[in-house]
Amino acid sequence: MRHSRVTLAAGLAAAGLAAAAWPGRAPEAAPQQPTEVILSISGEAGARPRYAVPDFIARTADAETQAAAALMGTVLWDDLAFEREFYMIPRDTYRTIPAARSFADIPFDRWRELGADGLVVGTVERAGAGGFRVEVRLFDVRARRSVVAKEYSGSAANPRLYAHTAADDIHQQQRALRGVARTKLTFSSDRDGERVANAVSARDVKEIYIADYDGANQRRVTVTRKLNIMPRWSPDARSIAYTSYRRDFPDVYVSQIYQGALENPTGGRGQNWLPAWSPDGTRLCFTSTRDGNSELYVMNRDGTGLLRLTTHPAIDTTPTWSPGGTQIAFVSDRSGSPQIYIVDADGLNLRRLTSESWCDRPTWSPAPFNEIAYASKTGPGYDIVIYDLATQERRQLTSGRGSNESPAYAPNGRHLAFMSTRTGRTQIFVMGRDGQDVRQITTAGNNYTPDWSR
Amino acid sequence: MPKVSPTEEISTGRSGRVRRVTSSMSEINVVPLVDVMLVLLIIFMVTAPMLQRGVDVNLPVARRAEAIAEERVFLTVPLTYRKDRAVRLGTERIVIDVLAERVRQMMDGRDDRKVFLRGDGGILLQELLEVMDRLKEAGIEQVGIVAKLPEER
Repeated sequence: MRHSRVTLAAGLAAAGLAAAAWPGRAPEAAPQQPTEVILSISGEAGARPRYAVPDFIARTADAETQAAAALMGTVLWDDLAFEREFYMIPRDTYRTIPAARSFADIPFDRWRELGADGLVVGTVERAGAGGFRVEVRLFDVRARRSVVAKEYSGSAANPRLYAHTAADDIHQQQRALRGVARTKLTFSSDRDGERVANAVSARDVKEIYIADYDGANQRRVTVTRKLNIMPRWSPDARSIAYTSYRRDFPDVYVSQIYQGALENPTGGRGQNWLPAWSPDGTRLCFTSTRDGNSELYVMNRDGTGLLRLTTHPAIDTTPTWSPGGTQIAFVSDRSGSPQIYIVDADGLNLRRLTSESWCDRPTWSPAPFNEIAYASKTGPGYDIVIYDLATQERRQLTSGRGSNESPAYAPNGRHLAFMSTRTGRTQIFVMGRDGQDVRQITTAGNNYTPDWSR
Repeated sequence: MPKVSPTEEISTGRSGRVRRVTSSMSEINVVPLVDVMLVLLIIFMVTAPMLQRGVDVNLPVARRAEAIAEERVFLTVPLTYRKDRAVRLGTERIVIDVLAERVRQMMDGRDDRKVFLRGDGGILLQELLEVMDRLKEAGIEQVGIVAKLPEER
């Protein structure tokens, strides 16, 4: 049995941005002893292990702790179900099983009867003012012993973060899988309905928002009352680069959301759009008309070291980096219609990838997958297509329900976020990389161009 | 069974079709009948080879039962169900409260939503329907009632 203590980072420096109150990503647990044996729960032959996650046990009697205990069970169940590694036994079937009051009186026979291979039991108790101490154990129901035991303590402000952390730990320990439960989405939205002050065209205001991967905790990041679009997370998930019309022309800005600092690496030289971070976070690739035509440029994050990548009278735009940082895929209409091209990060070795009617907004997958997702025109609207670079095969993930555009990969490559008009207005959805398990993330206003934090 | 409109037969000009329309009244329209009787599930009668039996029950007898070829999910309802409300999925004893979830788990990853029900001949129809109700809750689309042929012991 492994027992480690992880403290959730909380209490970030106060800053002017709405996001400043967020707890950051918790530090990783101490490295394992190499001699330690990791016990993993297996199911019956050929079947996924079946897990049950009842409500956590509230060890303190106050209402907030009890509500947090129930919430953590629900969120952890959802987090584990999201990766589809386990068969998650529906929570409404637990009602016939008496709730445990501690780790000592778990009715394993009854859980075995329900078919559970693994059982996650958690306890929540108050720790100091405004804090929780949460203990989570994963039991092998057949052997009746715990194979994962974790203790977390931190702020009581966001109980969901405890469940997300436990889900990532369980996925890591049982399946050697990097879960995405603590990752975040960013997107632009017109939900607050403000109009651009003194704009020539009555464009809606769009501001940058962030949300948990499951759509909870949606927060606004920018407060410009101008157009802010195409946000992209920095690889450390602490900054967002985006295109902003805050000075009434498009320019690239970087918001350090936890510090509340704003950077403008392009410094207003020409019109600049669509920043994309290099995988190491040191450089940005973006589109600019500073030399008269829409071309791709790369610069360091601080605005130095500018390098022009493309030289063609056609439009070159929407860059995305390969996971190794050596190549950049982008869209160009040099053949007549927008198609996806790949160029090395030094501007050499340009080649064409797609030959379809219309392709837009490519996103390169993280390793180990080697593919590019993009929106392809399949009728009146677009659908999400994945192009496998190794096999040169394409597969379509959505089919004709509304227009589906702007795919963004989850950091483990197993899911994609995208925007779709399938429910009427434009909303953010996520789905598995096989196109299954589509979940709607946003409902308020129109929401565009999601990006998924690393 | 929808009737074919007269204009269509004239246009096709086949005498066979015309005749079918005139005789259509004499056919029994079984489609709504099946709908009413089998709102619950599709049910068929089968016999299982001896080897595929789990827990011993006294199966009902049917002359027209067909043999089961494949390896399938068997659910046994013994006479003791009346007392302990427990059935056997394969050989495992399962109380009726968790039956739907256990069958759903068993069907995870399978594409045939089919269960073979080995009910004791002495089980009441009410008791059998309770079990079939849980199977429907689990998403089972077809239930085979396992019987033995008259000459079987």
